[in-house]
Amino acid sequence: MAHTHEAAHHADDHSHDHHGPEKGWRRWVYATNHKDIGTMYLVFSLIMFFVGGTMALVIRAELFQPGLQLVDPMFFNSMTTMHALVMIFGAVMPAFVGLANWMVPLQIGAPDMALPRMNNFSFWIMPFAFTLLLSTLFVPGGAPAGGWTMYPPLVLQNGTSFPMLIFAVHLMGASSIMGAINVVVTIMNMRAPGMSLLKMPLFVWSWLITAYLLVAVMPVLAGAVTMLLTDHYFGTTFFEAAGGGDPVMFQHIFWFFGHPEVYIMILPAFGVVSEIIPTFSRKPLFGYDAMVYATASIAFLSFIVWAHHMFTVGMPLAGQLFFMLATMLIAVPTGVKVFNWTATMFKGSISFEPPMLFALSFLFLFTIGGFSGLMLAIVPADFQYHDTYFVVAHFHYVLVPGAIFGIMAAVYYWLPKWTGHMYNNKLATWHFWLSTIFVNVLFFPQHFLGLAGMPRRIPDYSTQFADWNMVSSIGAFGFGLSQLLFAYIVWQTARGGVKASAKVWDTATPHGLEWTLSSPPPYHSFEVAPEVK
Amino acid sequence: MNPGIALGPQLSPPSPGIAGDEVRRFVLSPRCSLTPRTARIFIASIAASTFGVAALFAVQGYWPVLPFAGLEIGLLTWAVRASMRKGQERETITISEESVVIQRHGGQSEQHSVFPRHWSKVKLHAPPTALHPSRLILESHGRVCEVGRFLTEDERRSLAVRLKQLVGNVNESPALR
Repeated sequence: MAHTHEAAHHADDHSHDHHGPEKGWRRWVYATNHKDIGTMYLVFSLIMFFVGGTMALVIRAELFQPGLQLVDPMFFNSMTTMHALVMIFGAVMPAFVGLANWMVPLQIGAPDMALPRMNNFSFWIMPFAFTLLLSTLFVPGGAPAGGWTMYPPLVLQNGTSFPMLIFAVHLMGASSIMGAINVVVTIMNMRAPGMSLLKMPLFVWSWLITAYLLVAVMPVLAGAVTMLLTDHYFGTTFFEAAGGGDPVMFQHIFWFFGHPEVYIMILPAFGVVSEIIPTFSRKPLFGYDAMVYATASIAFLSFIVWAHHMFTVGMPLAGQLFFMLATMLIAVPTGVKVFNWTATMFKGSISFEPPMLFALSFLFLFTIGGFSGLMLAIVPADFQYHDTYFVVAHFHYVLVPGAIFGIMAAVYYWLPKWTGHMYNNKLATWHFWLSTIFVNVLFFPQHFLGLAGMPRRIPDYSTQFADWNMVSSIGAFGFGLSQLLFAYIVWQTARGGVKASAKVWDTATPHGLEWTLSSPPPYHSFEVAPEVK
Repeated sequence: MNPGIALGPQLSPPSPGIAGDEVRRFVLSPRCSLTPRTARIFIASIAASTFGVAALFAVQGYWPVLPFAGLEIGLLTWAVRASMRKGQERETITISEESVVIQRHGGQSEQHSVFPRHWSKVKLHAPPTALHPSRLILESHGRVCEVGRFLTEDERRSLAVRLKQLVGNVNESPALR
């Protein structure tokens, strides 16, 4: 029953400042503001990027020459496993959630995310999850070393780190789910009047579809790792052949999660690039509707291609054919996107600011990763490529110049909007060229190593692979050190610099609601009275 | 391309006079793009794919996927309901010659505040930290009342400008127009 009472109160009882945002560390711990939480996600992901990157450098340092030089094989395997887990769940996914937190409300004209407290909770799970995961480096038996895919029965031999790994994965999954639900509810329920679904910016669209994917596949991962746990501690035999279970079924379940996960990591980057290319080509995006449908098609197809990760386990010929053809089919909507980005630039007045440089690099290098993916989709060829460095080269081309360059393009595009300052363009351009050159020095030779037969996940190798491994390791250190420049640019811009205008890219044609707001967004003094509509 | 959208505040236009007295009324409401029907369709579309996948594994004997799917869809349903409940909030600011009446309706409660129009002040407080939202306050005789917490920054600024025109300092006594 509704009731009425006096809401106005005495100022000395309830000072309005009392209700304002917390100060100092409390601002961050109790944050409910989407911009603060977005910033925390992005900073966290940058830290994890350097943690995972350091692990990658341990791997590449060991592989600089044949023979065992620096670390023992068990630790090497821990590094490959932890590098993947940290980069996927700690660096790439939180970075995109951070971008969504910052940009989705601004782009759809919403004041905040739909569920600010859940937003806070989903972020603060992350540091605990990764503290738990990284602490396995110090437990007896060492960190998980059976690969990020956690295949049984190998993963069950991890010792003390095994239950910690499972719990950490559960926490990461819970965080991802809460983040995805928040994004999807915000997009569905808090759009500005007039902002119909087919008027939303493509970054928002790509996140809406990503959130659908996350919600659909995260229970599969949670169920899979829970079954590993019960097999190990509670006597079940889901994946235990001796008890009637099937270890290969774990691979099916894992990759049913794992392949959509690949798209969870790349679709938001597609959205970012779809924002940047029209801006710096000074043309509208070619084929907006086709881009939306292509993204949705890729998401749908991602559910029916999982077994291409495991052709070599043995499956019926019909199964091999189905998964091969379905995988190749993904090239069609992906091609639509690549051609539309190219068509957007066609006859455009292109300028090469850092976000555009990263977007162009994404376009070229992600396409290389896509093509090597097509090669891997061919079953008889995959029998040769499987578990070689060719696969390592392929997925790193998709994830580094794909997902990570997409994130960097987004940061360079929106950083002036977030901070109100322009960054040092010369340094950012240096960062771009160093990253683009070294990423190719790092990963392109791995195609040759894989085609020559070098297996992945080994700390030592035959001397015939020595030359390209040395080149790859030089590229790794060049790429890794270049990222320190990125961190410096971000830090310097956050501290100050030339003031950015509301539109930021004044000579280009940025579209979207975020550019109607001042930089940084809520400037509260209003010199010119806005018109009330 | 993404066509530009004007940021339209969620305010109803001031209404004409009531019962002979000249009155201005603003009705503020948060964003709520979902209707109960579209919300059900939205949840059903996600639940269908999530439970479909979970059921696929459950019939193969890998049932532990199913409870996680249930938990997740439960959380989604709660999230949609919570967001829609917030979307039902309304703040009505009625400005007459003598008074400013602020009424809040939300869920099962209703709040009502009355301020003397000529003695009240409208203040837009800058947040102590950049990037946080400003706060629109109406105050008089030591009493304060915040309005438009759920508006976007631009909308709140627009509302503040309009309220400042209508709610005046004691020496100004602006006419309603």
